[in-house]
Amino acid sequence: MSGHRVRAITRRLLQGFRRDRRTLALLFVAPIVILGLLGYLMRGSTSAPSVGIVNEDTGPLGAAVADSLRHSTRITTSDVSAADADARLRDGSLVAYIRFPPDFTQQSQGGNVAPEVHLEGSQPGEDTPVIQALQQSMISLASQVTGRTVRFAPRIEYLYGGSSYDTLDYFGAAFVGLIVFFLVFVITIVSFLNERSQGTLERLMASPLRRGEIVLGYMLGFTVLALVQAVEVLVFALAVLKIQNHGSVFLIFGMEALMAIAAVNLGIFLSMFARSEFQAVQFIPLVIVPQFLLSGIIFPVSSEPKALQYVSDVLPLTYAVNGMRDIMVKGADLGSPGLQLDAAVVAAFAILLIAAGSATLRRRLA
Amino acid sequence: MSDTYAVNLDDVSKSFGAFKALNGVTLRVRQGEIYGLLGPNGAGKTTLIRLICGLLEAQAGKVTVLGQKMPNVSVLRHIGYMTQQAALYPAISVEENVSFFAAINGAEEGVREALELVQLWDRRGSVVATLSGGMRQRCSLACALVHKPELLLLDEPTVGIDPQLRVQFWDYFRRLAAAGTTLVVSSHVMDEADRCQRLGLIQYGRLLAEGSPADIRAQGGSRNLEDAFLALAGSKGS
Ligand SMILES: Nc1ncnc2c1ncn2[C@@H]1O[C@H](COP(=O)(O)OP(=O)(O)O)[C@@H](O)[C@H]1O
Ligand SMILES: [Mg+2]
Repeated sequence: MSGHRVRAITRRLLQGFRRDRRTLALLFVAPIVILGLLGYLMRGSTSAPSVGIVNEDTGPLGAAVADSLRHSTRITTSDVSAADADARLRDGSLVAYIRFPPDFTQQSQGGNVAPEVHLEGSQPGEDTPVIQALQQSMISLASQVTGRTVRFAPRIEYLYGGSSYDTLDYFGAAFVGLIVFFLVFVITIVSFLNERSQGTLERLMASPLRRGEIVLGYMLGFTVLALVQAVEVLVFALAVLKIQNHGSVFLIFGMEALMAIAAVNLGIFLSMFARSEFQAVQFIPLVIVPQFLLSGIIFPVSSEPKALQYVSDVLPLTYAVNGMRDIMVKGADLGSPGLQLDAAVVAAFAILLIAAGSATLRRRLA
Repeated sequence: MSDTYAVNLDDVSKSFGAFKALNGVTLRVRQGEIYGLLGPNGAGKTTLIRLICGLLEAQAGKVTVLGQKMPNVSVLRHIGYMTQQAALYPAISVEENVSFFAAINGAEEGVREALELVQLWDRRGSVVATLSGGMRQRCSLACALVHKPELLLLDEPTVGIDPQLRVQFWDYFRRLAAAGTTLVVSSHVMDEADRCQRLGLIQYGRLLAEGSPADIRAQGGSRNLEDAFLALAGSKGS
């Protein structure tokens, strides 16, 4: 052991970083970006989910609880008719609705209240604030109205998913697509960078190949790989992990293929901005992690602070995650407008990146 | 008149930012000759070759290749370019590399002939990453000539290879030239100059002299090419 030699290695390492300003910046910027984003997501003025109230109670309790719910900061309420409520849940304009049945006040005199809570249910974590708000409003009011302690036993119904779903069922659906997206992105960006650093790109450029042909060839090659991977991931998720799926396996596969194509082109495009594999890998914390956090996979987009919702709305991964959940949890088919939008956005993003990748190919040959 | 030249550079300048890599270079390469582009490291040889195959565009002057003004995609089919580093795909075999460059030039049938010329037919199954430097260089040459280009641009093809292989390379070059190919070979080694029909001496982005080895000797007033080069560099460089 020679301290001198060890120091030589350490010094050489730090000298390299001193020149690579970008790596240095990333080292100190990325953690702040990611932690800041996470903090804002979890503590920022989270917007309250929209909840409908259907009050059919013939007695006074329903109206009193509804009034209390209107003042709750956890949820935003609106009055809806029993006829509309399910449709509003289905089109996504409501996360949940609460129904007070006609005999609601009567029930409370018997010591038990059972308001109905109808949840959309395709995203985990959205139902918690609804039930908490209801519970808070109920307990105090019911005892005031009836003068005795009342047991709160809401009847919860799910439009999608539900009590048979566990955490993996919710996350699995989105992760199936994300795994493919992420791995394909990393492979593409690194191999395209190799093409540059080993000098073969210069050869390609001096050949009759056109830029579009290079990008398309790459896209096909990696898409084939990605599709094989997608099949494997899907089979494992469905057959071994037994993640629940209500949609068509072919649709899931189609969505995965779109995501893979987008990932390949994102990789080609971003490789233009990296000089080494080292720099390429740095795109992961900057490009992939924030998208991941904002995609709605862990924190539902509807519960994000308003400002972040706008960001989520323009990120393609949000649509990809949403599309996967539409298929697997809601059993959506191609006729569903929601899924059409999701697929269209991911496809448009892929096309945009093909164009951007081809356009930037000329730059920075060596 | 100009179409008897394979390459015709007319007062060409190329700058990178404020740095002038090429400064008013005029040179002509005749069809079917071996033209040596000689100059020290950093003289501008690679930049000049990149201009000829249209990878770079001149800021001033005119580059005409095989009768077409460059950059021009349709000419590229008739150009072969061996880059300075042996640019190959390390993870695939020799034959797979050559086949790839054949395919993108639409010349799949030439693979065997190219591999036989550089004597790699027996090693065609070897993965490039496992080859010696000299074999890689030969494989790189095969990739550049597999589509039988009319014009072959070789950027320092003999750098870092042993004397035996160097002799072999010049033998390949002469055979190609005899078959009608025009070759532009860059080098910073003066003792290779005598193997070329004509030479362009280049330094600091300027063409110092052009002509046959005998012409250059006469211009530099020395029987030794190296001394002639130094004499020419001294008179123009200052
Ligand atoms: N893309 C580039 N950007 C900036 N400078 C460059 C670039 N390419 C070449 N140069 C500079 O131009 C000069 C000539 O380079 P080059 O043509 O590679 O020389 P040679 O091949 O004769 O060794 C060198 O000083 C080099 O640093
Ligand atoms: Mg060079």
